[in-house]
Amino acid sequence: MAQIQAGIHTSVRPDDRGRPGSLALLVRLKLRLLRNRVRQIADQSPMRLLLVILFLAVIWGALYAVFDYVFTFLRRFEQQSVIAIPLVFHVFVLAMTVLLAFSAAVLVYSALFARSEPAFLLTTPAHPRHVVAIMYLESLFFASWSLVLLGLPLMMAIGNVMGLPWHFYALFVAALLGFVPIPGAMGLVAALAVAIFLPRLARRTLLYAGAAVLAALAFWWIRLWSLTTSDSGRWLQDFLGEMQFLKAALLPSTWVTNAIRYAIEDRPADSLFYLGVTFATALFFSWAAVSFVGYYLLPAFASAQSGAQRSASVQGRASRRLTDVLFCYLPKQMRMLVLKDMRNFLRDPAQWSQLVILFGLLGLYLIYLPRSRPEGFSTQWQALICFLNQGAVTLILSTFTSRFVFPMISLEGRQMWLVGLWPMPRAEVMWAKFIYALTICGLAAVSVTFLSIRALQLPPAMAVVQASATLATCVGLCGLAVGLGARLPSFHETSAGRVASGLGGTVNLIASVVLVTVNVALVGVICYRLVEQGNLNRLDPLNVLLASLIVAIGALAASIAMKLGIRSFRRAEV
Amino acid sequence: MDRRRVAWKRLRDETRKDGTETLELGPMSIRLENVTKCYGRLRAVDGISFEVSPGEVFAFLGPNGAGKTTTIKLITGLLAPDSGTIEVCGRAMSMDDQTAKVQLAYVPDQPYLYEKLSAREFLEFVGEMYGLDSGTIEARSRHYMNRLQVAPFADQLAESYSHGMKQRAVLAAALLHEPKVLIVDEPMVGLDPRSVRIVKELFRERADAGFSVFMSTHTLDIAESIADRIAIINHGRIIACGTLEELKARAKREHRLEDIFLELTQPDPEAEAARSSVV
Repeated sequence: MAQIQAGIHTSVRPDDRGRPGSLALLVRLKLRLLRNRVRQIADQSPMRLLLVILFLAVIWGALYAVFDYVFTFLRRFEQQSVIAIPLVFHVFVLAMTVLLAFSAAVLVYSALFARSEPAFLLTTPAHPRHVVAIMYLESLFFASWSLVLLGLPLMMAIGNVMGLPWHFYALFVAALLGFVPIPGAMGLVAALAVAIFLPRLARRTLLYAGAAVLAALAFWWIRLWSLTTSDSGRWLQDFLGEMQFLKAALLPSTWVTNAIRYAIEDRPADSLFYLGVTFATALFFSWAAVSFVGYYLLPAFASAQSGAQRSASVQGRASRRLTDVLFCYLPKQMRMLVLKDMRNFLRDPAQWSQLVILFGLLGLYLIYLPRSRPEGFSTQWQALICFLNQGAVTLILSTFTSRFVFPMISLEGRQMWLVGLWPMPRAEVMWAKFIYALTICGLAAVSVTFLSIRALQLPPAMAVVQASATLATCVGLCGLAVGLGARLPSFHETSAGRVASGLGGTVNLIASVVLVTVNVALVGVICYRLVEQGNLNRLDPLNVLLASLIVAIGALAASIAMKLGIRSFRRAEV
Repeated sequence: MDRRRVAWKRLRDETRKDGTETLELGPMSIRLENVTKCYGRLRAVDGISFEVSPGEVFAFLGPNGAGKTTTIKLITGLLAPDSGTIEVCGRAMSMDDQTAKVQLAYVPDQPYLYEKLSAREFLEFVGEMYGLDSGTIEARSRHYMNRLQVAPFADQLAESYSHGMKQRAVLAAALLHEPKVLIVDEPMVGLDPRSVRIVKELFRERADAGFSVFMSTHTLDIAESIADRIAIINHGRIIACGTLEELKARAKREHRLEDIFLELTQPDPEAEAARSSVV
């Protein structure tokens, strides 16, 4: 801290320095970068653009259908809907506040302290505050996509169900856009604090903070679940009591909710009042946060750059022992390859934390699930929850394999001079990656599945169906990710995120979602038939056939993708 | 008389022609005094002091991990020293870094270019950032792009450039505002022999015109051929600084720079062990 403080005390106020007008120049630069990127995609891979648009349209359509159903349902209960609809908004906006603050913190930290761009800009006469401002605007743009993704179908659904006039849409969009900078500003200050106080643990700190927020939300949700009583009037009272804090007058989420609520009630003047409060607060927060972070940018940047690395030798030995245990059956050369990937996995918090956080939350919910029904679940509930759990586990797996397993072969592109010279066939490189991915994903997925079986107290036959369906989908997803990763690689790309969001990554994601959908649907059919038969422990020949089909589809998807991938990887020239 | 003195004299004579009564020796291009920078318990830069005059090509040598890049980042203001003072063109970096930055340009060892900009667009952006008018930007861009052979790929996006192409494009951008101090980290890495020759000539021309070039390099032949003075840093300390002749005199033998460098930076196993224990 001494050096940081020294830097701060000896600096003059940055307000007096820097090239005037550099913010406009930086905005123009970012717009030009965006224009060039869009032009390039439109010229070189219009299919990718079409796929992305199609994918977004499907997601928007599905969300619109869900929201439309929910609001139509709520409208049936005239009195309750008066309470329920604003409550939905309070929950939605508060959840968005937390998510936006966290994603803005991660994006701003990466943009200001982890990329080469600020180092370049800070050696130019660009005003430090302007550098912060442009990165802040950029992070708001990227962080608010989830708001756009969820907010637009929500708005369309309410407008349609309630038959609202055009100014509702204008007020709704203004309320959401005006609100985004408030959590963004919080994220900006959090990123600065991490850069100054925890430069060596920046990524981990942000991830742990995210995990803590998610865990807090999970506990709160579980608390709501535990309110379950047989008296529905008492339950509603307790539930609304728990929700009361969401309506605190000083919460920005309350202002946004009120702006939307009055827009729905066709009271534009009241809506505009809350909109004004939201805008004024957003502008003040943004100005204060950008000025504050701009003032401390140089010492914070120096601090972030000064974070010395810790020795990796202890962790290296532990990962070696773990690999030797988990992959003892592999030949030594393949095991060495797996060890390399294992070390990458363990040293990249973004990878393991995604698995730990998502499966951890799911596990937490499954541990607490029996408490919500001390008397036990009926057959119908057992089958329904089993089916939903199956969907949740395999969807989480598909996001993980798409984001982290698919890019693995592409990321070997830069090391192809080494991989190509290894005294082992390239097919074995592929199999080593597949086995590694299957082991990591399989361990996580099967553990959660066993928790689900235990929580629901499933009978053996149903337990076997769920476990084998999870494992088969896991095999299929890993095979697809590794195989398509080799068939549609981006060998010149260095960022796993960019590989995953490329054309190959999109194809893999779609294939994975199709596989998950088919397998979950088949599990659904089995569950439905068992419920119809009134016994979850009796598998008739058709159900056995369906279960075998799930296993066969997983194996077939993996084998076809791996075959295509191996053929392509053998011929790969980088 | 060495070349930097000649350049300085020329600048002084030109000033006298303009009718200036007295001439004070201008501020040093770069001045470091007792600068220390620590990363945790590791002293990456340990009380170093040196000066670079106008009209001088200054080569900064040292083994890997000796503190070269840290020193450069300190000079450019990207890192703040724990103690000591750094001045660029007479401006203290801790007090007036923005004014100092207008006078300098920095080309890092991993040149940064926006991947989705062409070299021409990048030069335009940098020129505007330094407040140049569009006519000047266009004229100087054309000049430096031709000089550094950037023109053939000037309209392609930077993501398709090789390291050498990026290096040349960034160098052209760095020279656009005619900086008084040019700081380059490993300028010749990835360049073909023709480009190396061009860059060497450019550095020499700039120094002869009264500007300064501070160059960190491992390519000792280049340091030997164009540098007016050479500093060698090891374990964060300047262990030698002077003209090539002065270094040879210090080594007490008529060696090539390579021999002098190897002799001065010979590893001391005990010191290495002590150093690695604090990392």
